[in-house]
Amino acid sequence: MSDSSRALELAERACRATEGDEADALVQAQRSGFARFADSVVHQPTLIVDESVTVRVAREGRVGCASTNRTDDEGLAEAARRAAAIADRAPTDPGFPGLQPPIEAPAVDGFDEETSTEGPSDQAERAWSAIEATGDLGLYGYYTSGVTELGVASTTGLSVSQTMTDATVLALAASESCSGYAEATSWKAGEIDPARVAHEAAEKAARTTGAHDLEPGTYRAVLEPYAFAELLWYFAYSSLGALALLEGRSFLSGRVGEKLFHPAFSLYDDGGDPRGLPKAFDFEGVPKQRVAIVESGVTNDVVWDRRTAAQAGRESTGHALAPPAQSFGPVPFNLSVPGGTAGVDELAELVGDGIYVTRLHYVNLVDPREGLITGMTRDGTFRIEGGRVTEPLANLRFTTSFPALAASLLGLGRDVTLVNGSDFYGDRYPFGSLVPAVATEAFTVVGTGSGPGL
Amino acid sequence: MRELCGTAVDAALAAGAEYADARAILRRTQDIATKNGEVESIADGESEGIGVRVLVRGAWGFACDRRLSNSGAKEAAARAAEFAQASASRTPRPVVLAPARAEQGEYRTPFQRDPIDVPLEEKIELLLRADASLRHADVTITQAAARASREQRAFRSSEGADVFQEFVECGAGLEVLATTDGAVQVRSYPSAHGGSSAQAGWEYVEGLALDEHGPRVAEEAAALLRADPCPQKVTTVVIDSEQMQLQVHESVGHPTELDRIYGTEAAYAGTSFLKPEDLGSLRYGSELMNITADSTTPLGLGTFGYDDEGVPARREPIVSAGILEGFLDSRETASLLGGEGGGGSMRADGWSRMPLVRMTNLHLEPGEGTLDDLIADVDDGILLGTNKSWSIDDKRLNFQFGTQVAWEITKGKRGRLLRDATYMGVTPEFWGSLDALAGKEEWTMGGLTNCGKGQPGQSAHVSHGAPPARFRQVRVGIRS
Repeated sequence: MSDSSRALELAERACRATEGDEADALVQAQRSGFARFADSVVHQPTLIVDESVTVRVAREGRVGCASTNRTDDEGLAEAARRAAAIADRAPTDPGFPGLQPPIEAPAVDGFDEETSTEGPSDQAERAWSAIEATGDLGLYGYYTSGVTELGVASTTGLSVSQTMTDATVLALAASESCSGYAEATSWKAGEIDPARVAHEAAEKAARTTGAHDLEPGTYRAVLEPYAFAELLWYFAYSSLGALALLEGRSFLSGRVGEKLFHPAFSLYDDGGDPRGLPKAFDFEGVPKQRVAIVESGVTNDVVWDRRTAAQAGRESTGHALAPPAQSFGPVPFNLSVPGGTAGVDELAELVGDGIYVTRLHYVNLVDPREGLITGMTRDGTFRIEGGRVTEPLANLRFTTSFPALAASLLGLGRDVTLVNGSDFYGDRYPFGSLVPAVATEAFTVVGTGSGPGL
Repeated sequence: MRELCGTAVDAALAAGAEYADARAILRRTQDIATKNGEVESIADGESEGIGVRVLVRGAWGFACDRRLSNSGAKEAAARAAEFAQASASRTPRPVVLAPARAEQGEYRTPFQRDPIDVPLEEKIELLLRADASLRHADVTITQAAARASREQRAFRSSEGADVFQEFVECGAGLEVLATTDGAVQVRSYPSAHGGSSAQAGWEYVEGLALDEHGPRVAEEAAALLRADPCPQKVTTVVIDSEQMQLQVHESVGHPTELDRIYGTEAAYAGTSFLKPEDLGSLRYGSELMNITADSTTPLGLGTFGYDDEGVPARREPIVSAGILEGFLDSRETASLLGGEGGGGSMRADGWSRMPLVRMTNLHLEPGEGTLDDLIADVDDGILLGTNKSWSIDDKRLNFQFGTQVAWEITKGKRGRLLRDATYMGVTPEFWGSLDALAGKEEWTMGGLTNCGKGQPGQSAHVSHGAPPARFRQVRVGIRS
């Protein structure tokens, strides 16, 4: 599985197995290792090898879909038969846009030979390098690296493939009374230093002992990239896809073209950005376009797949999910917020008096139409006083509006960080957001939870 | 499949493991969704593979292979042993498993109609009829969905356990979105987030009678568009059984998972406010609070013959009369806790994931009386129903839930409809304010399929039963 030819060959074999139907096939394959650790011991090491094929058959507007991970000829033929049988029994799908015509996928970065050859010993060794750099605190988290292949082929001539690598180290340094967090992600494992990340987490943890409560209210705040990326992701998947826009569920519904955010805030989705986790095409085989979602505070567009694009008389921007999740609508997986000019210390100065948030926990949407999001802070929440980060705070319950937060920015950090977005459920599909730390006038705290630590 | 598990276990022992177990799984799934009167998606899936877990000098290793073949089994075993070897020399505390009898047996879900084999046309017709029942002038999106799965799972361990199980599940649900002038409201049946599932045949889906509930669901969504917002105040709340199921899940189920208590999930799902020494003494809630973990409940998604360590199913108290009496555990965490035996809550999401401590079926036992009885004793309060949003902190203390629907309660009567309701609390304080539970006639069980935990992530299928319940002095109406 060293290049994408295997995935493409498999997708093309699956198409041939459909025996004369109009069909396409998506192949997702992975080889990954997860050295998960807890209390400074590698405790749940998981190696995964899998490849799956999803065959979609279209017969006179009726569509059937079937998947399998049996990739011998018999397994592919059986999947094709099941897809065809569904198509025969399904009603006509009036929204089916047809198959993607042949198209060339753009060349993107995102594959690193060295990362692709990491094995279980390498992954365990990198986990242990983080553990051994932590000092007296326990370390919790993981080191993972893997290779993911995508291939999409159709009976109408589409033939695209990509091989991606990714590596992430996630580090929570903690004791009963303190905890700190850091992470790093790249498609080049060699650019990640697990020991440095663990050290950052431990340094942060040491400052959280003796946390204080905070009265509810709307505070000025600095959000580290980890926290800002998570809020942005929840806002993005609920509001920045075309289906939510068309159905009136998005915060942007009826508001595209309006100035809804701070002039310093711009937001793009760019699968070709080599600083992120590059993607050449989506799960329909449509090349990724760079989408300017917000420019200088003005909402410009959302992301589209072929179905929503056909509905609105537009073209897909290359943001379809894999079937059957496609019914959720298109999703931006390569979000990017350009940085500003401030260092982190300067962001605290811009806040003056407020709070400093490292990381969030159990985030969820309260009201997608308003961009209202709840969750907790954790593993590094501090008070900001007189422009300086001072005493540690307990974990805070926030229920805050992302649009209000992004409309009232005080500044953006100059450094942009790639923050991992995947929790690695299901098939591996590495994605993340490129974001800076931000300072805002509007982060609403509604309660106080437990203190830092285990 | 059992032979392949044996092959994998033998290969792991040959590679240096002192303990090994293997699970071979063959899973078929079928998911159908309709939207606005059209079939939105039909997905038919199959997945198979084998997962091998080993201990080498007290260090865990896990690897899997999608091939149900001798070579797949052997290669997975060798890779698992290699991964364990990489950490074995640096593991300061070798893993010890609590003793368990080497079980040999079979379990199969009882059912009448295999949901995978029900003709597709029949499923589509049922869903389109349900979808049509949701039509309403203010409703812009109608959705109905059904899911079905059949899974065969074989397990063998180096201690001699040899188990075969077949699980059959299905479920369904309705959801509508009503919109006007930029406002959006949602209603669901029989529960939010995709409906409810059970370990049962297709007769379970038929029994939900989706189309009979559609008109009410649509009408309530439309009415919510014109309802007043839930006020901000501290008040008495009566919570319906469906929302109580999630309340039990988040604020009792997860905190009593012993792996969280020992910190294994600290970096992701979080830990727990509970400590091992709290067992038998910590007051979790009022004396009305009785929570039972039961992996034998008929229809429960957490029902099995044996867990993924081969430990047999059982029913045991978690909270009795408000006192913490039990944890959800594995053989490893039971060993850390001390005492005889233990385990029985280990479950893995398919063949490609390592088993974790998971909820099975966790129930809030009923009290007496009806929902109306609970309401009748409230002078001023809020009735809350059907989950809309959920969040709880990493120690499972501070939570905030949103519900799809709420009603004002005034002088013992259900009053005007309220929208955008939320409530928040701190777990032991909240459960301490429990002052009434409805009886077994109003106790209902729902099954959810999206309980997330672990890195890499795993989704567990669990069921919860609960009656409507009443709590005093609860903060509601939290907005930014």
